Amino acid sequence: MVNINWALIAPILIIQVILLLVAIVDLVKVKETNGPKWLWALIIVLISIIGPVLYFIFGRRSR
Amino acid sequence: MQWMTLFQKELLENWRNKKWVWVPLVIILLSVMDPLTTYYLPQIIDSVGGMPEGAVFEIPELAPTEVILMSLSQLSSLGILVIVLILMGTIAGERKSGVSELVLVKPVSYMNYITAKWVSYLLLVWVSLFLGLLVSWYYINILFGTLTFGEFLTVFFFYGMWLTLVVSLTIFYNTVFKSGGLVAFFTILTIMLMSIITQIFQHILDWSPNNLSSYILESLTSGEISSDLLATAAVTLGLSLILLLLASQIFKRKEMAV
Repeated sequence: MVNINWALIAPILIIQVILLLVAIVDLVKVKETNGPKWLWALIIVLISIIGPVLYFIFGRRSR
Repeated sequence: MQWMTLFQKELLENWRNKKWVWVPLVIILLSVMDPLTTYYLPQIIDSVGGMPEGAVFEIPELAPTEVILMSLSQLSSLGILVIVLILMGTIAGERKSGVSELVLVKPVSYMNYITAKWVSYLLLVWVSLFLGLLVSWYYINILFGTLTFGEFLTVFFFYGMWLTLVVSLTIFYNTVFKSGGLVAFFTILTIMLMSIITQIFQHILDWSPNNLSSYILESLTSGEISSDLLATAAVTLGLSLILLLLASQIFKRKEMAV
């Protein structure tokens, strides 16, 4: 079996999870987004790393 | 005083739209990706399979300095894309939505308005770069061998100069165009043109900002900061300041014309 040192990988996974959580919390709090909210929720959850970034750049509406 | 108020407004805004959270995280992920995947390449190839029986795949030993350059090349592509995208609407968007008019109807100097934005985004970019390279440096020390803290600081400082130029360029285009898409398009186009021109006129353009990475590698291997590197950094900083001046001039004209 492939031998991977999880202690090394863990920080990366944690950063990914933080990114995802921040995006989701923001999505829930924000009133309106560009495009339907449920679609952004799917994008954030399903596409790792890139999903939240896409949401922050294109999904948020600056009033 | 006025400048501080504008600066604080920018910081608060970037905090509210979570840029201070996600930009550093993304930059960290980008700079760590390459060193980690390179280190685990044999295992990745193993688990994917498909190698013919008995084939031996030699993976060259990489020096720590080469690995940190990998982080930089990742930042130079995707990292710059992220920076351009977060900056594309900063002035253009405010002009479109009328926020800049609200700000500038008061006796606010154009220079203050633009430099406050410039400094606040530079702070964000430099802090992100520092964190990203710091984590990458930590991993490289564990996985590939020692890279001293001094070397890390050299990479951080001189590569930061390149990102400074990118920020200035995006802010410059922000004053030229009103649409964020155009700003992003022309910034990326300019960066690509610069790298092509640097390659064609290599013999003349010794100090082109695009050469920063190669001079960084050179000074890491030789162990001392070359005068070429310093000169290139100075040129890069100079170009940034010129762009900033031009930006405030163009902005002034445009606002008065409307």
